[in-house]
Amino acid sequence: MGDPAADGLGAMGAWEFYLVVLLVYLGTDLLAAWGLNLEFGVTGVANLGYIVTIAAGAYAYVIFTLGSPASAGDFQMYVGGFGLPFPVALAAGVVAGSVVGVLIGITGLKRLRQDYQAIAMLVVSLMAATVVSADTPFLNGNAGLVLLPNFAPLSDQDPEIQRWAYVGIVAVCCVIGYFVLRRFTTGPIGRTLRAVRDDEYAAAAIGKDVVLLRLMVQAAGGALGGLSGALLVGFIGGWSPGAWAYVETLALLTAVIVGGMGNDRGVSVGTFLIAILILQGVQFLNDVPELKALEAQFNRPALTQDLGWIVLGTLTILFIWFRPQGILPERRPKYGEVRG
Amino acid sequence: MQLLIEAIGFGIASGAVIALGAVGFSVQFGMSNVLNITYGALMTLGAYVGLFLIDRGVTVWIALAIAGILVGLVSVAFNRGLLAPLMKRGTRAFAIVIVTVSAGVVLQYVIVVFAGPDAKSYGEQSGQTFHLLGMVLTASEVTIILLTSVLMLGLHLLLTRTTLGRAMRATASNRVLAQSCGIATDRVSDIAWMLSGMLCGAAGVALAITTVSFDFSLGAVFLIPMIAAAVLGGIGQPYGAMVGGLVVGIASEVAAAFTNPAYREVVAFGILIVMLLVRPHGLFGAVWATRRLMA
Repeated sequence: MGDPAADGLGAMGAWEFYLVVLLVYLGTDLLAAWGLNLEFGVTGVANLGYIVTIAAGAYAYVIFTLGSPASAGDFQMYVGGFGLPFPVALAAGVVAGSVVGVLIGITGLKRLRQDYQAIAMLVVSLMAATVVSADTPFLNGNAGLVLLPNFAPLSDQDPEIQRWAYVGIVAVCCVIGYFVLRRFTTGPIGRTLRAVRDDEYAAAAIGKDVVLLRLMVQAAGGALGGLSGALLVGFIGGWSPGAWAYVETLALLTAVIVGGMGNDRGVSVGTFLIAILILQGVQFLNDVPELKALEAQFNRPALTQDLGWIVLGTLTILFIWFRPQGILPERRPKYGEVRG
Repeated sequence: MQLLIEAIGFGIASGAVIALGAVGFSVQFGMSNVLNITYGALMTLGAYVGLFLIDRGVTVWIALAIAGILVGLVSVAFNRGLLAPLMKRGTRAFAIVIVTVSAGVVLQYVIVVFAGPDAKSYGEQSGQTFHLLGMVLTASEVTIILLTSVLMLGLHLLLTRTTLGRAMRATASNRVLAQSCGIATDRVSDIAWMLSGMLCGAAGVALAITTVSFDFSLGAVFLIPMIAAAVLGGIGQPYGAMVGGLVVGIASEVAAAFTNPAYREVVAFGILIVMLLVRPHGLFGAVWATRRLMA
């Protein structure tokens, strides 16, 4: 990170800045993992295209925040460019995520086998990335969109206040997100969704509209994903197809599986372990001189990232093998014994 | 018009490779009922094994055979070591898909760690080209088309005319019943995984030949067109997958020629999604149960 002053960190030390980064990542990852858990862990829709809802939220935020392309000298191409304030852009992100979530969910309308459904959603993810990358006038293609004002809502404040205030905004969003999430994962709705997951035919037989419930969950999960993407892009200030490759869904999925499918607290723990301890921890491998030497010797600048994916994939497999219920298993509600 | 004919030519060439991979995928799926996404990374493995051998002076076609055998063995080990035990414990279908996706990502990045992220190539193949009805095909493309045709015919004969083929079909359609008829189902299933792994490795090398330049995402990119071809033709039907491969290949290349080349894959993606939504049992299959049939 080097000299803080040279990095434009203001009064903030490098470690303090890193802490801010970690907190924002944790918050946005939590929102995303909760959303995925609602779809996958609670309702049983293995949405391998979940990252697209995050991307939709981020792109919506970008085109609502930036002014018209011409105002920046046509430096990049995109649709929209409304130049609206932060809260509106954030709301746009939520709506976009929700709409895309429903669109992805439509593949599940037809009662495909669960694994086919997962593949269909994976394909949607690949397709979206291909189209956005190839169609430059739409969202500036592969190069992505940049030049967003970081910490947009507070641009006239001192940098240190800006950054901590942004952490505060993320925290507030997480609290709101968690309350909305609990509306879906607990109580009658939660029980109904778990019933849909465990036996959709039985759920349908007692009069539950399985398709409608799934679409509702896709909308809610997508909204959380969209919020996560909008908050993230508001912090990092740029967004491109490289940020939402299909494997990114795998990172969230690992968090859900390791933490405990269907358990909101477990998933939160899983997110902390995966997103912060492992994915960020892997970055510190860069500080190991022997590894640096290896990277230089074999010309592999991204070696640590590659190792990160190997670790994540292996963890997912190990957990499904040894502890499919995760660290904090879903709590099964106890009903009265049925005596026969 | 000339553009269309040329695009069809490219489509037939890439369709043959897609068919090769699709049939392997189909055999595996028919036998195990597992949507094995790791198949894509195994193709990549095949391509890199081929590269390793060709760099050491082995000819392309021998490299293709060796890569096929090696990937076949890896594929058997993968099933025996990971998928079959998970299936026996009753792990649910979507969890198995996630295992295969994860295993694919792990294998892909292990390949990156060893071989590096930059694009590779087998080098210039023989420059000879064939002109046929206005289509231009290179010598290696013609060889691959012939090779695919021979392999498909062989597989068809194996499945329909031999005792082993009958045992494979029996195991695929009802494992328990097959077992009680005295079929060594575990061994039969190993053979199916071996066969499909060999097709997978061969498809990897063939892909590397036809795409000229490739990197670690090779298999991941071509897996979806292959699944699309397999679903289009009806999962588990070699002839279906062959036709499916041609349809996907030609549709992709024609779309690429007349619109944006980047949309080549999007066509295959679209075909797969539409097929899954409208006719998940394939164009030719009459009932969903055809998945159970191997030929």
